[in-house]
Amino acid sequence: MSRIFIQVVINGILVGGFYALMGMGLNVVFGVMKIVNFCQGELLMIGMYVTYVLHVYLGLDPYMSIPIVAAILFVLGGLIQRGLITPLLGGANDQNLLFMTVGLMMLMQNGALVAFKSDYRTIQTAYSLQNLNVFGQIISLPKLISFVVLLLVTFALYTLLMKTDIGRKIRATAQNPLGAKLVSINIKTIYVVAYGLSAALAGVAGALLLPFYFVYPMVGSTFTLRAFVVVVMGGLGSIKGAFFGGIVLGLLETLGAFFIGPQFKDSVVFVTFLIILLVRQKLVLSRS
Amino acid sequence: MNMRVYVNKNLLLIIGFGCLMGVPLFIDAPYVIHVFIMIFFFGMVSVAWNILGGLAGQYSLGHASFMAIGAYVSSMLVIQLDITPWIGMWISGLFAGVVASCFLYPCFILRGPYFSLATIAFGETLRNLFTSWDAVGKAQGILLPIYQDAWYYMQFSSKLPYYYIGLALLVLIYVVFIYLDQSKLGYAFKSLREDEDAANAIGINTARYKLAATFISVTLTAVAGAFYAQYVRYVEPDLMLVQYSVEIILPAIVGGVGTAFGPIIGSFILTPLSEYLRVAMGSKVAGAHLIVYALILMGIIRFSPSGIVGWLGGKNIFRTAIMKKLGGR
Repeated sequence: MSRIFIQVVINGILVGGFYALMGMGLNVVFGVMKIVNFCQGELLMIGMYVTYVLHVYLGLDPYMSIPIVAAILFVLGGLIQRGLITPLLGGANDQNLLFMTVGLMMLMQNGALVAFKSDYRTIQTAYSLQNLNVFGQIISLPKLISFVVLLLVTFALYTLLMKTDIGRKIRATAQNPLGAKLVSINIKTIYVVAYGLSAALAGVAGALLLPFYFVYPMVGSTFTLRAFVVVVMGGLGSIKGAFFGGIVLGLLETLGAFFIGPQFKDSVVFVTFLIILLVRQKLVLSRS
Repeated sequence: MNMRVYVNKNLLLIIGFGCLMGVPLFIDAPYVIHVFIMIFFFGMVSVAWNILGGLAGQYSLGHASFMAIGAYVSSMLVIQLDITPWIGMWISGLFAGVVASCFLYPCFILRGPYFSLATIAFGETLRNLFTSWDAVGKAQGILLPIYQDAWYYMQFSSKLPYYYIGLALLVLIYVVFIYLDQSKLGYAFKSLREDEDAANAIGINTARYKLAATFISVTLTAVAGAFYAQYVRYVEPDLMLVQYSVEIILPAIVGGVGTAFGPIIGSFILTPLSEYLRVAMGSKVAGAHLIVYALILMGIIRFSPSGIVGWLGGKNIFRTAIMKKLGGR
């Protein structure tokens, strides 16, 4: 019992790392522009397919392809922001943006469907099926490597947002776009960078996921919803919060599956999400 | 209102309604009638959504699950208690309205995208529970027993009765919307949409009006869902997917959020478009039709953000025409 329990906890943390990365990506966009970005999971899916293509046609190791995937997704994200989202920002109806991202989601999903068919694809690497045995606990090697890389990416993102000039500009725009404009920050550029960064993070998550998961056109949707949960749990604009939110979500999911039953893990996740959302709002209201 | 002024003002609407009444006299291809029924269905749910989303400004992304509750409850009433769907659909509507109101009531403190996220979570939880609930057939869903041309069970071998039931329900929901739009209740809803804090400040009980908007909107959505269940004769938990909630909202977005006629125009554009594309392209390359659909959708949102009705309103086509009729005021 206790051995299985520890195994469940370890798995929860390893899975939670991905939710954390997706949540952090979404956090940048949601924090800066307050838009509900429905295609976050599809950016992850594109990241997975890019990694897949690089591996199959160029023989590139998935972990080596991370910089390329990040660069491609950054450019893609920047283009989406510039061409489709910025023109609608501040318009008569901000909610339209949500549906613009829904349109993008459909476009990406079905683009992938046309290009790659609906097959489940996976790649074989030397370490794909290897396991580590730590004190009697079995940990899958690719999951562990991915988790370590993921920690590095989180640290890099944290440094970028907290210590660098561009990071400060992003945070300033998130806090108050008008104020940021007044101190001569070009907020349109910041928007492009923010969306690009968010897309790159999703792409990196995809590249890290591929060694032990499979890719198909609809793979992103569960991750999109989970990313929203993470953002709300961890608090807007907080990278640390998003990281721990992701881990907690992973644990909730695996522990919920373990104690209540695997078929109800989604209910556990979403009910907890609702409770956290409401308690948070109550606290905010009572403070003001 | 003077009858003549009313007829003048709504001339296009009345002509349109007359044409729709007559369509089945000239076309008897079942497929075309089916497309019309789906247009009516999406028009219904979109107008019903528009009461909460368009008038009160609370964007619900869980309406597919409310629609599915209506479909499930009316089907269960038929199967378990042998209650006719003619009554069952209203029971299921009220039931869904009460359930949604109770569960969403605590969520009314949430604003903007947070409310939308809460409704997604609500819908996903429901879907998860229905997928593993034995009594409603788990993931397989419910298949309605088939009766040949039974009025009592609202089942017909021809599609025509469904066409007229659908049209009647669409008109009913449209009339409810028009009535709300001009009533005191509707003005309270709109004050929530425009500025919730200001509405609070002038003494409008925001939570109570959100509750009223939710109840009306969900009840009508669930009634439409019950109609859908009768027409398709099959209900499954996947009806609660977020993507169906989006499909419910899209006609309103394309036609014009908050307008009475927008969702109907939107449905008349989107539903045949998606059907046509599916037949023309989807059957050859899987997914190709949805690419075109997504591109058209994004184009409309990008270049006409306030929807088609808003765009026409900007051009003043209708208004000038009506003004001319009224004597150039």
